Amino acid sequence: MNFEEMQIMWQSPEANAKVTIDADVLLKEIRRNQQYFKAVIFRRDALEVGTSVVMTAGFLVWGWFWHWWSLYLLALACLVVGTFFVVDRRRQRGKGPVNNDSLHACIAASLGHVQHQIWLLKNIFWWYLLPPSIGLAAVTAQLVWSVRGAGPAIMIVLGSVLTVIFSGTYWFVYRINQRAVRSELEPRRQELEELLTSLK
Amino acid sequence: MTAQEQETIFRRWLEQHAGIMWKVVRGCTGVPQDQEDLFQDVLLQVWSSIPAFRGEAKETTWIYRVAFNTALAWRRGERRRRERHETFLKFDLSPQSQPGHTDSLEAQEMVERLYAAIRQLQKVDASLALMHLDGRTYQEMAEVLGISENYIGVKLNRIRRQLADQLKGATHEL
Repeated sequence: MNFEEMQIMWQSPEANAKVTIDADVLLKEIRRNQQYFKAVIFRRDALEVGTSVVMTAGFLVWGWFWHWWSLYLLALACLVVGTFFVVDRRRQRGKGPVNNDSLHACIAASLGHVQHQIWLLKNIFWWYLLPPSIGLAAVTAQLVWSVRGAGPAIMIVLGSVLTVIFSGTYWFVYRINQRAVRSELEPRRQELEELLTSLK
Repeated sequence: MTAQEQETIFRRWLEQHAGIMWKVVRGCTGVPQDQEDLFQDVLLQVWSSIPAFRGEAKETTWIYRVAFNTALAWRRGERRRRERHETFLKFDLSPQSQPGHTDSLEAQEMVERLYAAIRQLQKVDASLALMHLDGRTYQEMAEVLGISENYIGVKLNRIRRQLADQLKGATHEL
C-alpha cells in the first residue's frame, strides 16, 4: 500500500468510528464549563487581591488601636505585594497564547508565559517574601521591646521563638515554590523549547 | 457577534468539521477517557474562539489551529476540575452494520495502527502527519503551523519515512 492509498483509507468513512455529537447537550456542557472557569478565575483573583486588601486594612486598624508604627509597615508591605500581583497580572494580560494563532506563535507565547512564571517563582524572595519580612522584623522588634520589663531573658526567648517561626515559614514557602519550578515549570519550558526548535 | 450567531456557527462547524477535531484528539492520545476529556477541551476552545473568527483564514485552518494548540497545551492525566453532567458523545465502532464489513474491519485496524504510529511522532510532526493524511495543501499546513511551505515539504518526506518504518509489514512504499 502506498501513501496515496493510505490517504484514501484514512479519509474513508468506513475506516473511522462514527462519532455522533448531541449538540444541545454539548452546548449546555460548554456553557456550564465556561461559567465554572469564569468563577474559578474570579475566585483566584478575588482571593489574591482580597487577602492583600484585608490584611492591609487589618494591620492599619490594629496599628491604629495599639499605636504600633511597625504594624503600619506591615500594612504597607501587604499593599506592595497586592499591588505587584495586580500590576503583573495586567502586564501579562494579552501576552498569553491565543489558540487560533499558528502553532509557532502559540508555542512562542506559551514559552514566554512559562518563562515569566519561572522568573516570578525564582525571584519570589524579592517581591513576595522580602516586603512582609521587613514589616515582620519591625513588629518582632517592637514586640520584644514591649516586654523589656520582664527582663532580657524573656526578650531573647520571645525574639528567638518568633524568628524561628517566621524563618521556618519563609523557608517552607520558598522551597515549595522552587520545587514547583524544578518539577513543573522547567520541564514544560524544555518541552516548549523543543517544540519551537522542531518548527525551525 | 451575538450569542445566537456564535451558536449557529458552532453547530455548523460541529456538523462539518467535528471529524477534524476528533482526528486531532486521536492523534494525541489513545486512552479513551483522555480522548473524551481532550475532545471536550477542544470543543470548548473552538466555541470560545468563534467570536474572534473574521473569515480571514479558512474554517478548517482555524479549527486545526485551535485543536492543535489545545492538544499541545493538554497534559496527559491532568483532569480539569469540572463536572461532566451528561454525555454528548456517542461512538459507533461496529463496521458489521456496513456492507463489506470485512474490508471495513481491515481498514479500521489499519487506521488504528496509523494512529498509533502518529502518536509515536514528535508533536509537531504528528500534527503535519494528520493534516497530510487528511489531504490538506502545503499552504494550509504552513498557515496552521506558521512555517514556510518549503520546510513543510522537507518535514513531510521525513515523516513519511518514519511512518513507513513504524508500519513495516503493514504497508510498503510510503
